[in-house]
Amino acid sequence: MRTKLFFSEAFRSLSGNISTTVAATLTVLIGMFLLGMFIALGSWVLSWSDQVEGQLEVRVFFEQDATPNQINRVGDQLVALPQAESIAFVSSADALDRMEQEFPELVANLSSNPLPDAFEIKPGSASDVEVIAAALEPVPPGVESVTFPREVTERVREVASVIEFVFLAAAVILLIASTILIANTIRLSIFARRREIEVMKLVGASNWFVRGPFMLEGLICGLLGSISAIVLLFLGREFALPKLIPPAIGGDSGVSAWSFELVALIILGVGLLLGAAGAGITLRRFLRV
Amino acid sequence: MQDSIETSQAVLRPPDQAGVAEPPGESPGSQTPMIVFDDVTKVYEPSVVALEGASFTIETGEFAFLVGASGSGKSTLLRLILKELEPTSGRVIVGGRELGRLKKKLIPKLRRNVGCVFQDYKLLPRHTAYENVAYALKVQGIPRREIRQRVPEVLSMVGLAKKMSSFPTELSGGEQQRVSVARAVVNGPPLLICDEPTGNLDPDTSVGIMQLLYRINMLGTTVLMATHDREMVDKMRRRVIALERGQVVRDERRGGYRAIEE
Repeated sequence: MRTKLFFSEAFRSLSGNISTTVAATLTVLIGMFLLGMFIALGSWVLSWSDQVEGQLEVRVFFEQDATPNQINRVGDQLVALPQAESIAFVSSADALDRMEQEFPELVANLSSNPLPDAFEIKPGSASDVEVIAAALEPVPPGVESVTFPREVTERVREVASVIEFVFLAAAVILLIASTILIANTIRLSIFARRREIEVMKLVGASNWFVRGPFMLEGLICGLLGSISAIVLLFLGREFALPKLIPPAIGGDSGVSAWSFELVALIILGVGLLLGAAGAGITLRRFLRV
Repeated sequence: MQDSIETSQAVLRPPDQAGVAEPPGESPGSQTPMIVFDDVTKVYEPSVVALEGASFTIETGEFAFLVGASGSGKSTLLRLILKELEPTSGRVIVGGRELGRLKKKLIPKLRRNVGCVFQDYKLLPRHTAYENVAYALKVQGIPRREIRQRVPEVLSMVGLAKKMSSFPTELSGGEQQRVSVARAVVNGPPLLICDEPTGNLDPDTSVGIMQLLYRINMLGTTVLMATHDREMVDKMRRRVIALERGQVVRDERRGGYRAIEE
């Protein structure tokens, strides 16, 4: 019965204050649209940097006359390393096959197989490359050389940490900014109606009785705003994005943003929370009658 | 629901006298006084003295005027009764309850038992006359069936049976004030306080409102009315409490607006 009353009061004031309703909804819409774009972009970039990091590997080349024993010993040593995510043994024959596929005319002229046996080790993260390389120092018997992309590693690591920091900082700033913006819009609407609130209190309405419809209003604005934001994001993804980004880049590289459903869910949750909490917190000042 | 109504009534009204009509103007000594001010001082920060050592007692069923120039402390006094303000010192007792000891949570219940009428009506602008009156019942969680019955009753009592679905902007000042009186009494509160209810109305309309308040008092509700309306006070010959610069300077059983005229 009380819920019914809350809803009727909330709808009455929503339709009675069309301009503030629209303003609050648009504020949520803009905030949530930016947040959504941001989450999609940020998670895409993070996934890209993960991908690049994943392509880094340490290679251990053996001498031509390395014994299987020596190779096994190095293999055991690598397996014991927690930083090594995956270890693959590429025999000289495998290496030749691989090369034949990539550069057939080069291989055709070879009289014997010049390629050594090797281990390819993928690190858990970019920063582990050097740890793995350092573990094989001094070079164990039978090993010809240990190589890893030193410069690339460092660059990727720097870029990734910068991206992660920027992503986090921007997300926090965006959330704070949209909270303030929404709280401000709600404050204006509540300020315009502070006399009404005073009257409610004077007739003996409890704080929750006054707050209920207002919070419901905030909730409804949050809902409308975030749903519109989701619709806009969906349209943007379906129609605008393919024109901006050629499919070759966005395609099969294994780099992807978080799923649209997840982003939509986050937006909806944050929008609702901002609406209701914004109204509830702002009201506190006006309830002290 | 029923439970909360019971307790809300209990805040002000001892069960034995619930709904019992008292003859107006009489002060039966044995009953709990409705309002007691005991040496009440209210100082607004930093040093504006709004009320200074005010002491008086208003018995259950009385009709009392509170007179005095603007800024003499009338509104402060009324707001103390609603616990909108806290006294700087002294005690305010309403219906046997000392407000200083009343928990914050119980303030809404206190206010449901004290009807208020204001100079500026204080109606909810987006609600019709009916809804404005109903709101006072809804906040108590009174069942809808009862609301549908009581609101038209009280609106016809104030003479607005035909204007129930009008919005405040569609009503005259006198009609708006009638809605506000209806809202104040629809709970059947034991106490009604009015802050210059006729301040914005022409003399004829004012008489109508006064008659209404008088009738409500006849039905047993204690009425305390702050006013500037000299004619009205002189005509009614009721209890007059006069304030001057925050002090009670006169308190007469059947007084006039000014002491000199007596």
